[in-house]
Amino acid sequence: MHFIEVEHLNKSFTVRKKREKGRFLREKSIIHALQDVSFHVDEGELIGYIGPNGAGKSTSVKILSGILTPDSGRASVGGLTPWTDRKTHVQHIGVVFGQRMQLWWDVPIIDSYRLLKDIYKVQKGAFENRLEELTDALDLKNLLATPLRLMSLGQRMRAELCGSLLHSPRLLFLDEPTIGLDAVSKLKLREFLLKENREKGTTVLLTTHDMEDIAALCQRVMVLGHGKKLYDGQLPELLSRYDTQRTIHVRYDAPPDLSSLPESCTLQKDGDNFIITYEPARIPTSDMLSLLQKAGAMQEMTAQSQNVDLLIARMYREMDL
Amino acid sequence: MNTLKLYLHSMKVLLKSQMQYPFSFCLQTLAQIVMEAGEMLAVLLIVNRFQALNQWTGGDLLFFFGMMSISFYLTECFGRGITGNFAALIRSGNLDTFFLRPRGIMTQVLCHAIDPRRIGCIAVGVAALVLGCQQSQVQWNGMKIFLFTEAIFFGMLLILGLFLIEAVFAVHSVKSIELVNAVTYGGRSACQYPIDAYPGPLRVLFGTLAPFALVLQVPSAVILGKPLLGIDGVAAFLCPLSGLVFFVIMYFVFQKAMKFYRSTGS
Repeated sequence: MHFIEVEHLNKSFTVRKKREKGRFLREKSIIHALQDVSFHVDEGELIGYIGPNGAGKSTSVKILSGILTPDSGRASVGGLTPWTDRKTHVQHIGVVFGQRMQLWWDVPIIDSYRLLKDIYKVQKGAFENRLEELTDALDLKNLLATPLRLMSLGQRMRAELCGSLLHSPRLLFLDEPTIGLDAVSKLKLREFLLKENREKGTTVLLTTHDMEDIAALCQRVMVLGHGKKLYDGQLPELLSRYDTQRTIHVRYDAPPDLSSLPESCTLQKDGDNFIITYEPARIPTSDMLSLLQKAGAMQEMTAQSQNVDLLIARMYREMDL
Repeated sequence: MNTLKLYLHSMKVLLKSQMQYPFSFCLQTLAQIVMEAGEMLAVLLIVNRFQALNQWTGGDLLFFFGMMSISFYLTECFGRGITGNFAALIRSGNLDTFFLRPRGIMTQVLCHAIDPRRIGCIAVGVAALVLGCQQSQVQWNGMKIFLFTEAIFFGMLLILGLFLIEAVFAVHSVKSIELVNAVTYGGRSACQYPIDAYPGPLRVLFGTLAPFALVLQVPSAVILGKPLLGIDGVAAFLCPLSGLVFFVIMYFVFQKAMKFYRSTGS
């Protein structure tokens, strides 16, 4: 038996449109947020959950965390059904929303944490130890007496994360945790999540649009689009399907003669730089290089694979999302 | 017991956050005192002009006014989670957060807000009550103190119940503020005066559907020694229980609405 089991989950919402002129009733339309979604997750996995806006990611997180009840299908987390055993279930999960703060806004965060201790009925000793451990790892020691409203976004995110882990959940849902964070904060956050996952064995389900988060953290990704599961597996494998192009930036001493380049590659000029995009499957890189060398004396050259975001955009396009 | 502890702890934290803005708190409390004192003045003016309203003297009217103010504003102070803006709780997504924590939804709704500014209104209510007692020469005894406490407490439950109607409407995404306000704030304004001053339909409304008269006025009248609608003795002690009944019914309707919320969601 797997830690999280989701079988044939369906969920749709009825949206009432604005009443059109001359009509008595408003038109209704049904949005299928989830259609027959199934997957399994084992304890200790770190999974990335991606898909364009409106793909059904939040809906599935809401169902798995017990906020919503699905129309049909089965889900169990650690043997519990989230929407029927809500209180027992949420005792073992933590949820962080990047766009919404869950701690109390105007009081020092330590007061929020003490309140959370009472809400989750955490024993005093266990609470103190865990708080010590988390404030240490998240660098919050000096901020405990600061109210949330006076913190920067990065500090707030760390404070939220600490609050969601105080009761030592087995499963952590992260909904865009790095949104709006600077590079240093992002790196720190990722480092912390990896550590938490490795040392505590916490299962993490990460929803994000930041592919660097996914690449840095997750061994496995699930792609959701139009409420359907489109892919479930390793990230590199997924990318290799779309990662068919390479780009070469090259600069010559004198204006080169690039007329011999084949039709299948594209050529752009950016100041003194030439940017050539080609598909290694059609023109082997060695051929490409010798062509470029023949064109003139090269001063500088860099070869790049495509940006992950571009790959994802291409994937969404090809999947018609 | 644990729930009560959590509630008290929450109130402490919320009070602390309110006190982050002491100047604003003082000004708003002052404004509330002025507002409520204005309402009390209206009662005094009526008394000045007419001496009495049916069988009720000026002191009696101040007593009724005080009972309503104390009960209503204690509810607004400690039950702000429900009497506040429930629709905003849904729109902001904070209601979702409550589902993620291992406590009852009603408990968490109650624990998430407090309105200590209402202390001003409560003070005005107490002043009216004391003044009313003096003018009407109320002789307090153990039975009357019990009746008083009972009326205030079940009055609070009734008011919470009435505000829960609004919460239930909000879950079904129906804008209903005006309609429900007619029985909440409208009920408060109307039932500051004894209901036998009103025509039939209003008596029915506040005697049965939103039973302010049963919960607050029947005990008040007994304390004043002039039973309302002839209700006296044991019956006067039973009448306030209608507030409890109302709350319990609305509690279950609210739980049902939370199930509906979970199956439709945001």
